[in-house]
Amino acid sequence: MSENRKALCEMADGLFADLRGADFAAAWPKLEEAGFGSLLVPEADGGFGGDWGDLAAIMRLAGMHALAAPLGEHIITTHVLSACGVEASGLVTIAPSQGAPVPWGRHADQIICAREGELHLVSGSAEHGESPVGEPRDSITYDWNAAKPLAYSADPIALIAFLRVCQTAGALDGALKLAIDYCSQRVQFGKPLSKFQAVQQSIALLAVEAAAVNCAAQGAADALDRGGPGHASELEIAAAKLRANIAIKTGSALAHQVHGAIGFTRDYPLHELTRRMMGWRSEGGNDTYWSQIIGMQAIGWGGAGLWHNLTQRTDS
Amino acid sequence: MQTFAVHPFKAPKNAAEIRSELRAFLAANQPNDDPVRRANCWTTFDPQFSKALGKAGYVGMLWPKEYGGHERSPLERYIVLEELLAAGAPVGAHWIADRQTGPLLLRYGTQEQREKYLPGMAAGETYACIGLSEPNSGSDLASVRTSARRTDDGWLINGQKVWTTGAHISHAMLALVRSEEGSERQQGLSQFLIDLDTPGVTVRPIMDMFGGQDFNEVFFEDVLIPHGALVGVQGEGWKQATAELALERSGPERYLSSHALLAELIDASGPDSPPEIVATIGRLVAEMWTLRQMSMSVAAKLASGEDPVVEAAVVKDLGNSFEQEMPLLVQAVVDADLADNTTLARLLSSLLQNSPSFSLRGGTREIIRGIIARGLGLR
Repeated sequence: MSENRKALCEMADGLFADLRGADFAAAWPKLEEAGFGSLLVPEADGGFGGDWGDLAAIMRLAGMHALAAPLGEHIITTHVLSACGVEASGLVTIAPSQGAPVPWGRHADQIICAREGELHLVSGSAEHGESPVGEPRDSITYDWNAAKPLAYSADPIALIAFLRVCQTAGALDGALKLAIDYCSQRVQFGKPLSKFQAVQQSIALLAVEAAAVNCAAQGAADALDRGGPGHASELEIAAAKLRANIAIKTGSALAHQVHGAIGFTRDYPLHELTRRMMGWRSEGGNDTYWSQIIGMQAIGWGGAGLWHNLTQRTDS
Repeated sequence: MQTFAVHPFKAPKNAAEIRSELRAFLAANQPNDDPVRRANCWTTFDPQFSKALGKAGYVGMLWPKEYGGHERSPLERYIVLEELLAAGAPVGAHWIADRQTGPLLLRYGTQEQREKYLPGMAAGETYACIGLSEPNSGSDLASVRTSARRTDDGWLINGQKVWTTGAHISHAMLALVRSEEGSERQQGLSQFLIDLDTPGVTVRPIMDMFGGQDFNEVFFEDVLIPHGALVGVQGEGWKQATAELALERSGPERYLSSHALLAELIDASGPDSPPEIVATIGRLVAEMWTLRQMSMSVAAKLASGEDPVVEAAVVKDLGNSFEQEMPLLVQAVVDADLADNTTLARLLSSLLQNSPSFSLRGGTREIIRGIIARGLGLR
């Protein structure tokens, strides 16, 4: 763990809370000014010198505060470009795959996109699209003639998946907090909803799902810190994303259920979390995508081999 | 809001060494008997295996050497436990003594009690069971009525315990009983370690719906035990038993009971298996991997001396749901008749029938979620 994580998180928590509800135009200059971009750039190269666990912690807070900006994408692309010795200018986002909608594509000066298994820095023109909550997810026509190959081995789908897992960890914790606060105040049948066992059991299960994603996010970050993006962390990111998708299904439904109608209104902040999560389930690989990859990997290892490989990866 | 603060699990330097030594031990000592015994293996009783395990130093790993222990670290022990469970080793006979009763004696027991029981427990030869539930006290444990009356000759025990796992193979029961006449609820309870060969003790097995005989009812009729059988402080039984329950609920056995089925499903599949089988394996592995992260976090918190009572409840709840759902998910995709004599079909049939108990033992799902709700400040 980076020694500076605590201070970093306090700063991020305060800033993201201030930026809640702010659109990209209002939020981005503040985020740039705060200097998050260089989080994963080594200190020797003028960066913050953080690790993937730091990124996980920051993205968890971004998810909790429904931050409407491509912060994680920007931190990862800055890291990749720095590692390749390529000078970055402006906002660079990342495409999960060539045909996939690109997060905040219209705001990006350039995009990191994989072609034939290799990362490239490429420009393009954006056709606007939106996620359920209204964030840009744009269809890009790439200008491959001016593409610059990058000597960095990573699967962009996995990188996006990692960001969404961390954001989900925070969003579920945020939804849990809203549920607890609301049910502790709302009185029906002469007592707060939180005193009804049926409601307690639902909120407990929401907490369990939130806990699962928090642990999955940490496990994926640990794998990235051990072996970097690529083969050494693919299984962990895959498992974490698939688990996060399951948790969104259960957790969002429970959060809405215990809130009743108020949680379904535009004015109440729950939808800022749940509508984002609904979109994240299909970004960075859906259930089928990752379950096939994990399943084939496990079959390749065999029953005992699965256990041997999982344990070996955390023993080092 | 973060109910489950992730505790970093720093694997011991010798982790790989511990695993390879244990795997070699298992290759030489794990009985090659009915594969069904690999499922839910921490209730599979095999005294011969427990003795071999004790001899090799894998029981009482944390305990002082003077009591037959090995003074290893909590995370070294955690690695051994998860290896044994993943391999489906028959660890049921000594499991409770190693997990709960031994540590309880080290915390609250007298020198005499430690000397009497711990060396045998560490050797994998002395087994213990936990006397909590009674016919009228299940989830409402504070209503126990089995009584202890102090006499000049010792304590006189009368009453009945039920659902006592392993009582039929155990040497002693750690029982929660009412030592103060007329006391109510959590007050006036004490813990006693009762030798089950004492006159007046009757152990009667209860056959479970699967035909297994894991749990029992135990009757006490004027059972006279020595004054020295009181464990800890008279009247503090509730507090002591609750601390013990945290140990009972925090281990990797709460998500690995069905692991043998996952391993067998993977072995019975290949690259050409239908996508729905591959997807089911993928999903199960993702959930298992996540639970392992959670379980390791609990172990790390416990090892650092903190009490992960809510986190342990979270892992138990999620783990139970996972190990219960697994046989149903497998059944939904594999082309296996439960009458087949394949290992896969037999494990599947066994776990379908055994898994309803997983969210009952060690605290029902409702009690566990109540503990989580309390941790969230809802009650």
